[in-house]
Amino acid sequence: MTSSTVKTPVADRPARRPAGPAGAGDRTPPPRTPPRRDRLSRHNLSGWLFSTPFLAFFATFMAFPIVATLLMSFTDFGLRNVTDPLSADFTGFDNYGELLGDEKFLRALFNTGYFVVLGVPLTIGSGLLAAVLLNSGIDRLRTFFRVGFYAPVVTAIVAVAVVWRFVLDPTEGLIAGLAAQVGLTAPDFLASETLAMPSLIVMAVWRNMGTAMVLFLAGLQSVPTEVREAARIDGAGAFQEFRRITLPLLRPTMLYVAVMTSIGFLNVFEEPFVMTNGGPSDSTLTVSLYMYREGFNFFHMGYASAMAYTLFVIILAVTLLQLRLLKDKTK
Amino acid sequence: MARRARIATALAVVSALGLAACGDGGGEVGADAEQTLTVWAMGEEGTRIEGVAEKFNEEHPNITVKVTPIGWDVAHQKLVSAAAAGKLPDMAQLGSTWMGEFIDLGVLEPVDTGVFSADDFFPAAWEGNERDGEVYGVPWYVDTRALYYRTDLAEQAGVDEAPETWADQLALAEAYQELDSTRWAFSLPAGGDGAWQNWMPYFFSAGGSLLDGDGNLTLDSPEAVESFTEYRKYFDKGLSKSTAAAPGYDVIKDFGADRVPMFASGPWMVQNIADQAPQLKGKWDVVPLPAGDKPASLIGGASLVTFGDSEHKAAAQEFTSFLTDPKTQADWYETAKSLPANLAAWDEPALRNADVEVFQKSLDTAGTIPPLAQWEEIAHEIDVTLEELGKGGDPAELARELQEKTEGLAG
Repeated sequence: MTSSTVKTPVADRPARRPAGPAGAGDRTPPPRTPPRRDRLSRHNLSGWLFSTPFLAFFATFMAFPIVATLLMSFTDFGLRNVTDPLSADFTGFDNYGELLGDEKFLRALFNTGYFVVLGVPLTIGSGLLAAVLLNSGIDRLRTFFRVGFYAPVVTAIVAVAVVWRFVLDPTEGLIAGLAAQVGLTAPDFLASETLAMPSLIVMAVWRNMGTAMVLFLAGLQSVPTEVREAARIDGAGAFQEFRRITLPLLRPTMLYVAVMTSIGFLNVFEEPFVMTNGGPSDSTLTVSLYMYREGFNFFHMGYASAMAYTLFVIILAVTLLQLRLLKDKTK
Repeated sequence: MARRARIATALAVVSALGLAACGDGGGEVGADAEQTLTVWAMGEEGTRIEGVAEKFNEEHPNITVKVTPIGWDVAHQKLVSAAAAGKLPDMAQLGSTWMGEFIDLGVLEPVDTGVFSADDFFPAAWEGNERDGEVYGVPWYVDTRALYYRTDLAEQAGVDEAPETWADQLALAEAYQELDSTRWAFSLPAGGDGAWQNWMPYFFSAGGSLLDGDGNLTLDSPEAVESFTEYRKYFDKGLSKSTAAAPGYDVIKDFGADRVPMFASGPWMVQNIADQAPQLKGKWDVVPLPAGDKPASLIGGASLVTFGDSEHKAAAQEFTSFLTDPKTQADWYETAKSLPANLAAWDEPALRNADVEVFQKSLDTAGTIPPLAQWEEIAHEIDVTLEELGKGGDPAELARELQEKTEGLAG
């Protein structure tokens, strides 16, 4: 029995009631009150009233823009249409076709992929490591470390940028200073086409590992001690315990962290926006940044919308893949 | 019972507000009527204009000026969104390179050329607001680029005279580079946002013009190639950093620390150097940009525009004349250090006594960006070209590519 049938009040009705798509129900109308009227009955009225503020908010600020963007992505909406949106012409799939041939967009896709492929595993790995250490290793100063690792998550990106600019500055930066102490010269990280992206990845990992850590900490605390004890009695070492007990039991948490981090990283915008503005030579231009530039600097709204939907499809595909690969196998 | 009364009151208030809002929509109001004029102003000007508005209010007690200061970084988007929503103010200050875009949007009210005359303003500033015979804005303040350099370090390097030609400038840079303290002799951006502003004077100085007679872009002209070639020399000889600076780079720090002894920028730098590097007093100078075939700089600044939907056009015109009046402009120089767009203001004592001759000279020969709707995109492509130049790209080839990429963006 699926969980949805439990919630529905009609579940206890005789099973012969047609249960299928609405269309099937229309053909053979059930003898008594149809379920549709049920949902809007007086009984549910207060529920609807309570959700109205949210629904109104959602419809205005989420649903409408989402649909409008989809429509816009099939038009040549540009600066001239801003004052009269309905004058934009439908161009079918032209925007999407153009995207496939746009070298800059392909470059941005590649950069975003690079950022995700390196950044997500590093974030999850370091978050997990920090969580395991905090959960078992460190007793004193635990709160101090927890706050320390989580602080970057809640710090404003502008402040983060100021600090990291200082860290990476080639003449008076922290790394340059340390390098000078041992007689080396530090490269100009943000001005180098090869080093700019890795620098941003390190910064993003530092900024996001706190979230992963907190989630893993919660996950670790829900691993039952009995299972651990049983494993230990059976002679498992610390590493074996971690691999065979902790990791499998952390799978649901892992899934959640992986999905959320990937979505966040695929949408990466802030880091390159404040640190490099996509440069040098587009080596840190990400899809979101390119979208922003096209949409808000040049007002190619149609083109930018097409980009947004392309990114959406990619994110959807990646998420579905993760849901499949990291399914909870303990149940 | 009490609750019902409260609801009734609330309803009454709401409908009264609604009626009041309707009452506003009744055509245009003359300059003599009691009214509020809404003005959006940006950046430094936005925070200081309030004082000028009060003075205006003394002369015109019936007009209350309500100024909304907006940051430059968000101004463009705010204006476009407001245009889309039909919620524009009566008047605004508009950056010179945005003019084309807003003319194209059709939201600007043409200027009455019987009231404001082209002869009163710097020609380049006026031309930037003109399209197809109509003028859409009155120049408010101007800025232009000049060359800042360290005189003490120049002497150390054996150069006593101010550079006047491209060759002089290059020689000075090479001399600077010999000094141990110098990291880069000349701060010349290799791409990045706004780099085009540094290249433009080279292009104008080589005799280039952005548009040909038919209004098509000419970014692959021999003059463009010449200017790119000159620009690239500084990267080839290792005199300028050949990669773009990080966003937010401030040259004054390096200028003060002897690391970068020369850069080109606008009049605001005079004050900035005095504030941020006071130890440099007497050790630097600012001169007109060295010339190629002819002296040239790039004019920037802002104009005052009135929006077509405004119901207070008459009052807006009064306020615009007040702000562009030589007297107010001279006062404005003293409060905001913005250079007057009105030529007569330069004869006022406030400016005659100030050290602004360099900029006045530069303004006389400055070129302007014509009002092109898609200038932002063209400018971005120039930035990209300069970045390629830093990597050692061939000037002729890059100019051709630039022309190709900007095909159809003018017009």
